[in-house]
Amino acid sequence: MKQQLHANRIQLTYATVLSWTSTLGIIFVVAGYLVYVLQLLPSAVSPSEVAMHWHLRAAELHKIVPVPSGWDWIYQLGRGDVLSYASVVYLSSVTMLCLAVIIPLFLKEKDMIYSVMTLLQVLVLVFAAAGIVSGGH
Amino acid sequence: MNHRYCRSIGSIVLLALLTGLLLFSPAVAFAVPSHPPVQTEWWVWEIALFVFSFFLGIIAVIAGVGGGVLFVPIVSSFFPFHIDFVRGAGLLVALSGALSAGSPLLKKGLANLKLALSMALIASISSIAGAMVGLAMPENVVQLSLGATILGISMIMLLSKNSAYPEITEPDTLSQILHIYGIYYDEQLKKEVSWQIHRTPIGLMLFIVIGFMAGMFGLGAGWANVPVFNLVLGAPLRVSVATSIFVLSINDTAAAWVYLHKGAVLPLIAVPSVAGMMLGTKIGARLLTKVHTRVVRKLVITLLAAAGMRALLKGFGI
Repeated sequence: MKQQLHANRIQLTYATVLSWTSTLGIIFVVAGYLVYVLQLLPSAVSPSEVAMHWHLRAAELHKIVPVPSGWDWIYQLGRGDVLSYASVVYLSSVTMLCLAVIIPLFLKEKDMIYSVMTLLQVLVLVFAAAGIVSGGH
Repeated sequence: MNHRYCRSIGSIVLLALLTGLLLFSPAVAFAVPSHPPVQTEWWVWEIALFVFSFFLGIIAVIAGVGGGVLFVPIVSSFFPFHIDFVRGAGLLVALSGALSAGSPLLKKGLANLKLALSMALIASISSIAGAMVGLAMPENVVQLSLGATILGISMIMLLSKNSAYPEITEPDTLSQILHIYGIYYDEQLKKEVSWQIHRTPIGLMLFIVIGFMAGMFGLGAGWANVPVFNLVLGAPLRVSVATSIFVLSINDTAAAWVYLHKGAVLPLIAVPSVAGMMLGTKIGARLLTKVHTRVVRKLVITLLAAAGMRALLKGFGI
């Protein structure tokens, strides 16, 4: 009763979507990691190979071992290392999903300021995810 | 008497945990220098990182600080991973903590969506810029600036005094245009507390700086978000803490994507850290009433300052 009083419908919707997507994210991340380290699926780069080079800068490590980065893994989901990486990518997308869900709700309430602000926020995150404003390759 | 005894025992246990944290630091335990090719089996590092993050999670909750701010300076000091990957993992530690804490805080009306969205838009853009600059900087410059920042954070934590219920007589024009105000039920006061904010433009400027630093060093930014919400904008402390977590989830998402694109996120480093920290945070929350939080907070500030000094020395090549 109290929570309905102090958090409006949009905030409650955001909270519900966040609860589900983040719980799923944590499960994915742990499951993906176990698949990788227990080598339940074949991987292009084994954990021990990565460990041999993790003292190097990110750019240098990528020249030596083909660990997934950005979106270059998208067609190789059957690999253990890719699956683990994809779960981290999902976790990094949760906020975007939650924000995208509330844009129509702001529009429905004719709250133009927050409709535009949330849309811009989603665009910033989408551009970052696409590598457009984050130096992707 | 009995309660006091229990709290003393609790504090001693925590002290032992902190000592363990330092002694367990793999650089000491396995006697390896900081950047060698790895001789220890990879899975030993994985377990060490998980256990280390677990302890870090416990003391972070008790000391009332975010895990991310402790994670980066300490792990980059004691583990053989390059600081690029530690910063990437640090962002994910802070992000996953914020995501899991966000839902209940929003449902209770403690975190405020409009306050968070207003600050996060500009902060997330600067967070992306900070991440790009941070990953392009030479390693010694990163260590130097990280060391200086961590020492600054230790000072802020030592000196800042929060205000539980700041009184705002007149909200500013921008906050009125943006409809930033709210009401929440305070469990401690057993009554509803309504709030509004002022100095919104100054707050926005400060969030640009906070976002940039969070992205640059992969730190969660609760240490800065909370004082700005509470002391500058005048939001109640509970609203400030809860909304800070929400802002953090947006800013760290933006910065995390830069790290993902630059190849600075290795699941082998990020996942044990996230899992250990989350588990530790849950245990820490249970221990919260059983220990002297002030003592632990002072110890953590000392630990943070030591990690900052170590980063500075590394930056100078010492």
